[in-house]
Amino acid sequence: MTNFRTFILGLTAAFGLPWLCLIVLPAMQYQQITPVAYDKDKDGVEGIYPPAPINAQGQLVYVREGCNQCHTQMIRPQQLGLDGWYKGWGQDQEGRPTAPVRPNVLRDYLSEKYALLGVQRVGPDLANYGWRAPDEASLYQHLYSPRSVHDWSTMPAYTQLFKVQKIQGPVSTDALKLPKKFAVAAGYEVVPTLEAKQLVQYLQSLKKDYPIPGQSAAVAAAPAKK
Amino acid sequence: MQTTPSTSDTDLQADNLRRAAIDKSVKVPVLFLFTNGAFWLMLSTILGVLAAIKLVEPEFLGNCQYISYGRLQPAHINALVYGWGVQAALGVMLWIMARRSGQELKSGKSLLLVAAIFWNITITFGILAVLMGKSTSIEWLEMPKFVWPILLGCFLCYAWPIVRMFGRAFRPEGFMVSTWYILGACFWFPWIFITANVALHCLPGLGALGAGIDAWYIHGVIMLFFVPVGVGAAYYFIPKITGQPIASAQLASAGFWTLAILGGWTGMQKYMGGPLPAWMTSIGAATGVLLLIPVGLVGLNHHLTTLGKHSAAASSPTLRFVFFGALFYPVSGVVLALNSAFWTGASLQFTQSWYAFQMVSVYGFFSMCVFGAIYYIVPRLSGCEWLSVRLIRNHFWFSVYGVGTIVIMSLVAGWQQGADLNDPEHWDQTFMNHVVNSRAYVVSRAVAWALISFSNLMFLIHLLLMVLGLGRRSSAPTLLHHDHDETALPNGAHA
Repeated sequence: MTNFRTFILGLTAAFGLPWLCLIVLPAMQYQQITPVAYDKDKDGVEGIYPPAPINAQGQLVYVREGCNQCHTQMIRPQQLGLDGWYKGWGQDQEGRPTAPVRPNVLRDYLSEKYALLGVQRVGPDLANYGWRAPDEASLYQHLYSPRSVHDWSTMPAYTQLFKVQKIQGPVSTDALKLPKKFAVAAGYEVVPTLEAKQLVQYLQSLKKDYPIPGQSAAVAAAPAKK
Repeated sequence: MQTTPSTSDTDLQADNLRRAAIDKSVKVPVLFLFTNGAFWLMLSTILGVLAAIKLVEPEFLGNCQYISYGRLQPAHINALVYGWGVQAALGVMLWIMARRSGQELKSGKSLLLVAAIFWNITITFGILAVLMGKSTSIEWLEMPKFVWPILLGCFLCYAWPIVRMFGRAFRPEGFMVSTWYILGACFWFPWIFITANVALHCLPGLGALGAGIDAWYIHGVIMLFFVPVGVGAAYYFIPKITGQPIASAQLASAGFWTLAILGGWTGMQKYMGGPLPAWMTSIGAATGVLLLIPVGLVGLNHHLTTLGKHSAAASSPTLRFVFFGALFYPVSGVVLALNSAFWTGASLQFTQSWYAFQMVSVYGFFSMCVFGAIYYIVPRLSGCEWLSVRLIRNHFWFSVYGVGTIVIMSLVAGWQQGADLNDPEHWDQTFMNHVVNSRAYVVSRAVAWALISFSNLMFLIHLLLMVLGLGRRSSAPTLLHHDHDETALPNGAHA
């Protein structure tokens, strides 16, 4: 039986070390991480970092539909990919930004129970989508009928987040303005449900490139405008 | 299990009776697991076809919310991993351990059956929940959180008797390498499973660290559960059927312990360059490459064992499947290394090549070994022989070509996706090139899954007939040799 005991001890030791170092200790340390305050003198901004939480209610819809199968939420540093230079992938929406978008850090996801970093990148990265998101009406149209925006799109149409209803009286203010080819029957209109509204608010709240306190590079990169 | 001339007939008979008694004692749970596993495999491959089609043509079968890609893909993977993978692995583990330790399953047979039934019911509800919109979006743990305690309990119901058998075994010649692997799998899976589920479902939220733990979980389950079961089965069946002893005990031991030491570190490289502390992803990437060592050692050992015996793979279905499974093991190691190494991993990150790794390890390597095991085990449990050489042969070739296509196409697609993502020309473009260029690869994936579905349909029908006792009544095993030349193998090889 000593042989058996040594064997089990060996297994425990071999796996216990990575388990302790990669999972247990980091998880305990993570509990200590708190938001930090910006230093007005050094960072040039006031407030707390990360400044704004994501819309958690809308994230539930994102989770439920498995959007992370195709959309990542993680900007990589330049040695790994061109993420930082993609147009509009950060706060700076200019065509040729002076500096690339900064890669993400642990605190960017502080308010999230589980960070949806993503499985594959079939569609564009959404880490900082909030900055480049079009107006709500276009977003609704994109969710309701992606192919009415890009005919090559392979995004599913999330029609279940919308309601097709008979027009009674004047057309609803939030009814979708669809191109003719994708329009519903005459006398009917498409309106977003509460879930669609929450999902859109979530997408608009995705801004994970606020400057990091104490990192002058990030401060320099942050555009002057709000 | 060679018979030597000095063995007296009574000894041989006693030996055969003992084996038959062991087989009989595990018959019900093992056959139940295999049959249900085969059903889940069938479902998973069909979902794989659908998911691939939906990735190219999202309007296929209408814009029904229950079958959008974001729900189908997790359902496909979960059915493959928990429905087929773990279930079939438990059956193989139980049988090999019972045979290796020479122990009958004494008690708790009904408990095992109940655990297996609960396992299947839970997974049915879990996967339905994913399709109905209750997915957690945590890769490989998409099923709602009520499933994991039940699955864990069911797994432990099996792990306990397996470990007990090992403990009671009489071992004059020391440990055999296949039992190490199976014990390891019994031991690691619950540990990994509890850790990941407690961390992701019970702790107050780990943000980006949670994503890292999930990546670690996936690779842990592959490297420390599916791989050990596959390698264990290969180490059991290759010597048994070729009649050759394992070439090198030192290689076997080194291969096992390097896997045990390295396996737990890998996984987090999936998010290299991301928000996780850099040391975590780096160590994951380094071990992802270093895992080539255990993979190579095992591959070398199998190669040396089967040297000169390759012709046996032409006639024995078991050997043929196990053999090709064992060939896919080094392939999966290479794919993991490609995904992990900085030079290639940077462009393969977030692409289909990660799918290639999951499929080559879970389907190409693990499942092929398990198919081989099933072709050996089931006739001994059901008391009849496989009906049709043609069905077995079709199952084999369609599986090999199907999974080979998926792996190669996903790897090339990954390279293409990475090139498109990192093409400086695309800095202000939409994702059109990216989407259009990967389309053809996904179509080939759909075709490959369709081939595999077809092969699994034949496997399922064949297995059902066997379980119902409708197989061939014969004392001669079903061999694949063209002229049914049964002298190609030593007679004892199919005892």
